[in-house]
Amino acid sequence: MRDVSIVGIGSTPFGRHAGTPIEQLGVQAAVEALMDAGIDRSRIGALYLGNFISGPLNGKEVLAGIVADQLGLPNIPCTKVEGACASGGIAFRHAWLAIASGQCDAALVVGVETMTHAPTAQTTAALNCAMDNENDGPSGLTFPGLFGLAWRIHADRYGTTREQVSAVVKKNKANGLLNPLAQMGATLTDEQIAASASICDPLQLYDCCPASDGAAALVLVASDRLSGTQGLPIDILAAVQTRGSPRIGGHPDLCSFDATVSAARRAYEMAGITPRDVDVVELHDCFSVAEIVDSEDLGLVPRGEGAIWAVEGRTAVGGQIPINPSGGLLAKGHPVGATGVGQLYEVVRQLRGTHPNQVRDAEIGMTHNLGGAGVACTVSLLRRPA
Amino acid sequence: MSEAHDTPMLAMVRCAACGRVDTPRRVVCSACLSHQLESIAISGEGLIASFTTIRRAPTQFRDRAPYDVVVVDLDSGLRVTGRLDPQSVPAAVGAGVRLISVQGSDTVFAVSQT
Repeated sequence: MRDVSIVGIGSTPFGRHAGTPIEQLGVQAAVEALMDAGIDRSRIGALYLGNFISGPLNGKEVLAGIVADQLGLPNIPCTKVEGACASGGIAFRHAWLAIASGQCDAALVVGVETMTHAPTAQTTAALNCAMDNENDGPSGLTFPGLFGLAWRIHADRYGTTREQVSAVVKKNKANGLLNPLAQMGATLTDEQIAASASICDPLQLYDCCPASDGAAALVLVASDRLSGTQGLPIDILAAVQTRGSPRIGGHPDLCSFDATVSAARRAYEMAGITPRDVDVVELHDCFSVAEIVDSEDLGLVPRGEGAIWAVEGRTAVGGQIPINPSGGLLAKGHPVGATGVGQLYEVVRQLRGTHPNQVRDAEIGMTHNLGGAGVACTVSLLRRPA
Repeated sequence: MSEAHDTPMLAMVRCAACGRVDTPRRVVCSACLSHQLESIAISGEGLIASFTTIRRAPTQFRDRAPYDVVVVDLDSGLRVTGRLDPQSVPAAVGAGVRLISVQGSDTVFAVSQT
């Protein structure tokens, strides 16, 4: 397998782009990434596009081919990949794999979603397609509900409180204020969070990420084919994808995701590093409690202490392990298929040293993207060359 | 006899080849890939693994909201998702529950009174 580098990044702001055709957002991010890389388009050998629900919400499929046509790319394989909220991370891994295996020397990754134009009921119904609608759907369970279940167990097992979980919300919303791409940065108080509408106990409104539109893109090139590109190439140390159970009953622990645990283990092994070596992380905080569970599953924080670490500021920029300096899904937004690619965009900026909420001297960064009820997961490790 | 007849049971499948008991919507046995899955009924008694109160419900369940979704660890070792009867005493992690009705895919539990 060959080494692969990220040489170009692009992103639209995450937020409301109602009225903008979905392919336009994808093309906008892709052009930015191609210009950033300085690469000739004729060198792009494959396009992988992460998207979840362009069919039900936009009446558009074959989105990878549509974006490639707009970009005037050569007659290359163009593939849309779907893994619910992990679609973007999976698209990235496939592009990495195509280059690492020698199938092509350069590839374009795009993640894109538009959601805010659709009525909430339609969006909810489309998102719920990622649930096991044979076993879990009939109970009336929702995705926030899934994390309500996780929170109850965390509270029961470790004594985690509303105020402790609010520390995650406050941190990510504050981080979002520093990120011009973020949809919903805010300065929040414990009182405001505790007074927000109850969605599914114990989750309240501020514990949930917003619906978002947006796109992000990356250009990947074989590390021995970097001539003709510009800027600091960021090395991909690991790109791992795993599966977990699609149904609640298949999860032995409702307060942990097998797919995350195994993806992280393989990623550390592949990169030859330990969790202590990670300087910055963008992880899948679709809900406040998800950040707590994820940080423990990734081995970054001791089991049961995810909330306490947030309270103590250890996961803030300047802390022991900065988590979601971009604002995360909670504040930056969650245009589903774009999220995993957006996380990589953020980590590349951190490793280039050009992030608006910079972690000092960040050398190794991690991304974690989780789909469905934990059915699909990707974990990636990136490094700034010495 | 009549008591057994009145007690609601949960539909599951048992693999005739290897004996694995699993949820009823299996196409093949995930342990041995046999197609010989026999319908069985198992006890709906178990313990609450976790629960949540859904206040913002999907359209088809909106009339019912708020409602509790429970994840139940059945005595047989299987873990299933259902909802809590609105008349039940409040749910708690670790509380004993029993199945009180099954209508199609709608599985309703209630906390056991002791």
